[in-house]
Amino acid sequence: MATIKSSFLNLLVTLTVITLVAGLSLGYVFQWTKEPIAKAQMEKQLRAIEAVIQGYDNNPVTEKYKVATPDGKDSLEFFPAKAKGEMIGIAVKTKSSKGYSGDIRLMVGFTMKGDIEQVVVIEHKETPGLGSKMSDLKFLNQYYGKNPGQMNMKVKKDGGEVDAITGATISSRAFSEAVQVAYETFQTVNHGPN
Amino acid sequence: MAPISRKENFLKGIIKENPVFVILLGLCPTLGVTSSAVNGLGMGVATAFVLVMSNLVISLVKNVIPDKVRIPSFIVIIAAFVTVVQLLMAAYTPALNEQLGLFIPLIVVNCIVLGRAEAFASRNTALSSIIDGLGMGVGFTFALTLLGAIRELLGSLSLFGYKFIDADGMLVFILAPGAFISLGFIIAIMNWMKNRKRSPH
Amino acid sequence: MSAGLLTVSPSPHIHTELTVPQIMRGVIFAMIPALLFSIYNFGIGALYVTGLSVLFCVAIEYAIARYLLNRAASIYDGSAIITGMLLAFNVPSNLPWHIILIGSAVAIGIGKMSFGGLGNNPFNPALVGRVFLLLSFPVQMTSWPVQGATFSLDAVTSATPLGILKEGIRSGTPVDTLLSEMPSYTDFFFGLQAGSLGEMSAFALLLGLIYMLYRKIITWHIPVSMLVTIVVMTGIFWLIDPTRYASPLFHLLTGGVMLGAVFMATDYVTSPFTHRGMLIFGFGIGVLTVLIRLFGSYPEGVSFAILIMNAFVPMINKFAKEPRYGVVKEKRK
Repeated sequence: MATIKSSFLNLLVTLTVITLVAGLSLGYVFQWTKEPIAKAQMEKQLRAIEAVIQGYDNNPVTEKYKVATPDGKDSLEFFPAKAKGEMIGIAVKTKSSKGYSGDIRLMVGFTMKGDIEQVVVIEHKETPGLGSKMSDLKFLNQYYGKNPGQMNMKVKKDGGEVDAITGATISSRAFSEAVQVAYETFQTVNHGPN
Repeated sequence: MAPISRKENFLKGIIKENPVFVILLGLCPTLGVTSSAVNGLGMGVATAFVLVMSNLVISLVKNVIPDKVRIPSFIVIIAAFVTVVQLLMAAYTPALNEQLGLFIPLIVVNCIVLGRAEAFASRNTALSSIIDGLGMGVGFTFALTLLGAIRELLGSLSLFGYKFIDADGMLVFILAPGAFISLGFIIAIMNWMKNRKRSPH
Repeated sequence: MSAGLLTVSPSPHIHTELTVPQIMRGVIFAMIPALLFSIYNFGIGALYVTGLSVLFCVAIEYAIARYLLNRAASIYDGSAIITGMLLAFNVPSNLPWHIILIGSAVAIGIGKMSFGGLGNNPFNPALVGRVFLLLSFPVQMTSWPVQGATFSLDAVTSATPLGILKEGIRSGTPVDTLLSEMPSYTDFFFGLQAGSLGEMSAFALLLGLIYMLYRKIITWHIPVSMLVTIVVMTGIFWLIDPTRYASPLFHLLTGGVMLGAVFMATDYVTSPFTHRGMLIFGFGIGVLTVLIRLFGSYPEGVSFAILIMNAFVPMINKFAKEPRYGVVKEKRK
């Protein structure tokens, strides 16, 4: 056991030294991992963008910008995808807080015509086995190639055209809402042929 | 403490004094993150790393720390290593880091880490502390991976992400109640086997 | 358990002329109207599910007692049959056999035998099985077949009145509109609604209740205090805002309230000994049921409420002792 007496000075010195050493080494590790962490985060976004838009040659993450939603309450991140300097589509990071538990975050890829290329789920806290099925292609493919301007994105129970996930109407509804918001926000900046 | 061999020192953490199944320490991450085998393994390895490193450092500095500030000093050392693990995981295994989420920083308050520091590292040499930490770490990892594997197998009919049958499993095993039920049964089976060994019929 | 000559059991020792098998037979008789009604309503599927469930429960109890615990199998007291029937009453009538098997295994294995068999289980075994299935197979457990679809195992599914209500209120539809699309209260009373196999017909369940009261198998305390609590609580909310909360009658006649009040909450082993305790027990179930129905994320809360109150039974027994040696009808062990 400890051989040093618990005098006030000893306590002070020991704690100071320990916290100092711990703090310094943490600072070092932080510096060391700063770049890999930033890279990992960028790669995560790039992977999501790659999944929803194909054929670009720029880095959409470095060119990202924010656009306010039509109701002005929020703003979404837009990642422009370009091939040979020409815009071919935009990946929109969108979310809905109407899920079963917590926010649902999606990446929606639009062509310049406003068609959905593909949607991927970035983050959700829905019930495993029910709401979590929103990441399955069976559900996602319903949105593939559709234009929210021409198709009612709501679930069938609400009079739309989307087949809800069995047992997870609320999650499906939130998903559709997030896509709809992404589209409406997209429309505020894009007035291409539609 | 009676002197024990290095091999015994290492092996005790795996079965005889398994932190989860026998000592029942560190149950928060055990129940919280083991919804799949990979999660259990990742959490186990992260905790094992912290255990070994903090055991090592604490056994080295045990003689210069006054008794009165023993616990705060240990916590600072443990917390520093946990932060290191968290930064490393965010950098090199971002997906796993996101899966485990809050449970990585919570290793700080995992009883098994402070428990070994207080019960073992603060009164043993550096080498035996490392061995103790390794044994406990492996035992913890084994327990979490086993629990994760059982829950994944029953809950989503897959193992380490590999799906056997394309159907839905028993969802309850992925949810919190499944963690309690599975852990209860593992402990019951272990006790049953122990009792059987002790009283041969 | 077996009625041996030397039975050692903890106090209070209350004398009764009914033996365990007699009581169990009485309960089974009382369940027959509800079973007949569900066969009439859902066709052969109801009989199939009930039969399988009873078979699995009895077989599993026999196997565990005989081969795992090395003791005489306790299946002749009929309690496994009741568990099997109650489990079946709590599931849709089109449930696949493997899910029934899992439910029976959990009900008997985890809910009853892991605590030491009949008399030692703190939670109602059938409900343990039911809630396990609900959490495990939410899709299959909430796909209710449409009634009247006789002789078909996979009929079209529909939502329960409570499910429709919860969904509708969440999307902002007033209760009146939702109710106007549903069957009338008379239909609810006789069981013309979607739901689990044995829970739909309040009428058939009440017949069972009357029979059990007449045979003095149970007393009125738990069912009455539970139902009154539900009526009063939902009534208060209904008076506050009838566009957002349905009437007490609706809550009384839909879902598992009647089944829970008559057969689940009155289970001897998992309910309090004393009349005062029973009143508290029923009150607690009523409050929790209403809270879950009105504010929880599940449309129905009876089974959760009963399980939660089961956990409080030892405490209720401790604090709600009868002051004198009463004429209580319970029989332990």
